[in-house]
Amino acid sequence: MVEMSVNLNGLAMKNPVTVASGTFAAGQEYADFVDVAKLGAVTTKGVSLNGWEGNAAPRIAEVPSGMLNSIGLQNPGVDHLKAHELPWLQGQGATTIVNVSGHSFQEYVDVINALEDAPVDAYEVNISCPNVDEGGMNMGCSCASVEQVVRGCRDVTKRPLIVKLTPNVTDITEIARAAESAGADALSLINTLLGMAIDAKSRRPLLSRVVGGLSGPAVKPVALRMVWQCAQAVSIPILGMGGIACGEDAVEFMLAGATAVAVGTANFSNPFATLDVVEGIRSFCEAEGVSDVNELIGGLLC
Amino acid sequence: MGLEDTSARVVANKHLFGPLYLMELDCPAVAANIMPGQFVHMALPDRDASVLRRPFSIFDRDEDTGHIEILYQTVGAGTQAMTGWQPGFETRMIGCIGRPWEVPFSTKRALLVGGGVGAAPLNLLCQQLVDEGVDVDVILGAQTEGALVCRKRYEEACGKEPRCSTDDGSFGREGFATVLVEEALDAAQAAGTPYDYAAVCGPEPLMRAASGLIMDAGVACQVSLERRMACGVGACLSCVVETVDGRKRACVDGPIFDAEVVVW
Repeated sequence: MVEMSVNLNGLAMKNPVTVASGTFAAGQEYADFVDVAKLGAVTTKGVSLNGWEGNAAPRIAEVPSGMLNSIGLQNPGVDHLKAHELPWLQGQGATTIVNVSGHSFQEYVDVINALEDAPVDAYEVNISCPNVDEGGMNMGCSCASVEQVVRGCRDVTKRPLIVKLTPNVTDITEIARAAESAGADALSLINTLLGMAIDAKSRRPLLSRVVGGLSGPAVKPVALRMVWQCAQAVSIPILGMGGIACGEDAVEFMLAGATAVAVGTANFSNPFATLDVVEGIRSFCEAEGVSDVNELIGGLLC
Repeated sequence: MGLEDTSARVVANKHLFGPLYLMELDCPAVAANIMPGQFVHMALPDRDASVLRRPFSIFDRDEDTGHIEILYQTVGAGTQAMTGWQPGFETRMIGCIGRPWEVPFSTKRALLVGGGVGAAPLNLLCQQLVDEGVDVDVILGAQTEGALVCRKRYEEACGKEPRCSTDDGSFGREGFATVLVEEALDAAQAAGTPYDYAAVCGPEPLMRAASGLIMDAGVACQVSLERRMACGVGACLSCVVETVDGRKRACVDGPIFDAEVVVW
């Protein structure tokens, strides 16, 4: 028996595995494949106050060992989430992290205020989406704005507050420290890396918005490096993600310092990816004589 | 019927013409359950560099043998790799996904219009309509004679030759299929037996033009839309289609849409 439960500074998870926001909706679409109660948590698609239309198609492009997306945080708004997805997740017995998005400092606060009476176990503050013009990544690139948005959210909730960081910065550890000092309970990283793809023959970009966020196995080395750096820089726990597709990938993130992990792009090629990662971590621990997954956290030898 | 991720084994994989190939797979679950217009989301297990599946309509199925056929066109590295799959190769497919063709009750006469590889998702519909006693006319368009790879199959299915057009005039009418659509609509009207329903699949300019003509003639029309797709199950919002009711997902809100709601 391997002890699989972890605690993300107040968020109890039955195992270390959640999903990367935006890759799993709120779980209903994957219900034929995954019992969401078996996951450490479900992280819902980013939600804004009144909903957004998102970007024009084409919104994705496959690139070697990865994909670019520029969905643009299309969502129907927080009232829809409260009326439909959150009750369903509660009924399934899921642990729920809601990814909170905004176009302004106030919108993040307003979304959290709207969710305080809903069945939510933690918030993930999305200051790292590269695909929107206002809010998103722009807020996550300077320490001052990170502190402002995190402080605003911190003031209105006692629930665990996870801050999702963008890798598109000069020094992610500065941003990590800013989020910690403003009251974040945990950090999640990395969001996607800003990239682009071009069709040479037509001389056109493959995405309608020209640039988009790179995810998948291609970003894993970058993500591991940033998780490792942030783990040295802060004392709050880290939810690590970026190209995780199997148990051993997840173990590598935990060794680098992550307390929990998220599976994103891998859901698309393998709808069972989350469950496979849970079982993969368990069997790794069994094979390596690890009795408690918490022993893996920060266990990198170097 | 819920979604399943089932294994599928290649039985045959033939080059037809130019970029067009026909793959036969053993996949009893899909063969038994697919409804005309639905699709499968197929893994590329031999390509580590591909992180996404590929969506394909089902060209034909045989419930008795459990086999399905996929008519595909090489577009990029993924479909190019598929051309190398030998009999016995194992892949996986999520199915059966999406909204099928929905033919109005009491349809007596139907028109099917397929452009290029877009003829594939109409074949099962053609068989279904013929089985139901509907009088079906088929119009196929392609760049050149060799690319009219579905012609014989449609002839078998509906007992009459499809009307064809080719861009280069090498077979049938020279030019685009829309001319044949216009003629078919006029002829049916003149004969006093107008179409009750039309289904169109092909390049978007063809679908836009043909569905416009069809709707102008007062005939109910559906189209099958394609977008780049990631999850294939409705979660990721990659494959959005602009409609008069807002953005819809091609995978689960479609791929079949009423032509009147599509904003081209």
